[in-house]
Amino acid sequence: MSTTRHHINRQRRRQARETRPTPSTARPDGTERTEHPVAGTRARGATAVLESAPAPADDSPTAKAPKAAGKAAGEAAGEAAGARPCRRPPLLVVLCALTVLLGGFAGWAHAKAEGLRSEPARSNTALTDLARTSEIKGQVTKAVDRLFSYDHADPGALDKAAQELLTGKAVDQHRELLADVRERAEAQKAVITTTVTESAVERLDGDRARVLVYADQSSVATGGKTSATDEKSKAGAGEEAAQDEGVYAAAMLAVDVVHRDGRWLVAALDTFGR
Amino acid sequence: MKRAVRLLDAGRSRPLPALALVLTLVAAGFAAWAGQDWYRAAHDEQAAYAVQRDAALSAGEQAVQNLNTLDHRELNRGLDLWESSTTGELHEQLASGREEFAAQVKEAKTVSTARVLSGAVTELDDRAGRARVLVALRVTVEAADGAKTDKDSRMLGELTRTEGRWKLSALGQAPVGGTSTG
Repeated sequence: MSTTRHHINRQRRRQARETRPTPSTARPDGTERTEHPVAGTRARGATAVLESAPAPADDSPTAKAPKAAGKAAGEAAGEAAGARPCRRPPLLVVLCALTVLLGGFAGWAHAKAEGLRSEPARSNTALTDLARTSEIKGQVTKAVDRLFSYDHADPGALDKAAQELLTGKAVDQHRELLADVRERAEAQKAVITTTVTESAVERLDGDRARVLVYADQSSVATGGKTSATDEKSKAGAGEEAAQDEGVYAAAMLAVDVVHRDGRWLVAALDTFGR
Repeated sequence: MKRAVRLLDAGRSRPLPALALVLTLVAAGFAAWAGQDWYRAAHDEQAAYAVQRDAALSAGEQAVQNLNTLDHRELNRGLDLWESSTTGELHEQLASGREEFAAQVKEAKTVSTARVLSGAVTELDDRAGRARVLVALRVTVEAADGAKTDKDSRMLGELTRTEGRWKLSALGQAPVGGTSTG
């Protein structure tokens, strides 16, 4: 569609040029004629227009074309230069407008896409990345089990766990949290066992994650039955649930982990101010 | 002379539409790329799932907090909020036990205020509209004599999506002691 108009425009221009030198006598010069067939072969539809056999679709503009050309030529040859901008712009203007519109749309759509992608919900891949989520849950469960369990007969195990599983400020936090647990366990000759009952990944962003953990802590006094019960009644602490199997305590904590060397290390422990 | 100038003009101006055409095509290419990029970003299934997860979590945290907050001076408002935060069986339980519970709280004259410490989604079935959340809660109970006690609760909640909104369909505390106490 636009190409045929382009051709028509070109034909008009050419016609105007041809008619200018001899406005009164019109075309029939040998020299100008030679140009005609050339144009005709290049754009057949447009030549038909020039031959004053108007195409049915472009009826009115084509019919006017020779007249307008003659007029333009007749008015002033010098003004032909001024007439050109009137005719050329449509194509250029259309192209420029299209460029601006398309460019504008591209920019707008890109901004929209970026806006969608930067939504906080998307940067958190907890659960959306199921494999990584369960990997974290598994490793954190094991880590918490080890880090909060203590056997008075094997105190080295806790230190080893701390060395292997902790990093950053979690090292100090863990030492503080476990200090009195360790003391109590030593005094009672107890075995403290922590079992994670529930865990869920709150957020997972690249190689950092935060996990909410529910854990049960049981302490079982070992070594001579009588002495154990003695210790218990002494250290009593008003624990009503002091049965032979042990005392259970409910714990909840949030654990920040970082991915390092293919493993998730505990970087911070949050016991919610307890 | 004039004709020569004009021919020269024509020769020089032809690259201009060509250049404009090239620019337009380049712009069209960018537009097409940006358009499909936008479409994909908007129809990203993972992202839709993440949005549901966050919606479920925030609704779950709010509902758990609502259900642990009650002021004996504003009983009706509080209990209305309880009912609007829940659905299914839990909703029925709350509705049927409302009178009795209201009488108890009126008698005790307590004010409970809950604060969510942390929360996370453990399971989410986007299609079925079901989710399971952990919510760590701190409940402060103010007795009639003004004494305040803090209690931490490890809540487990189940959410069901009804009419596009996530509501609590079950709520309980995580059991302590595992098999030994059972």
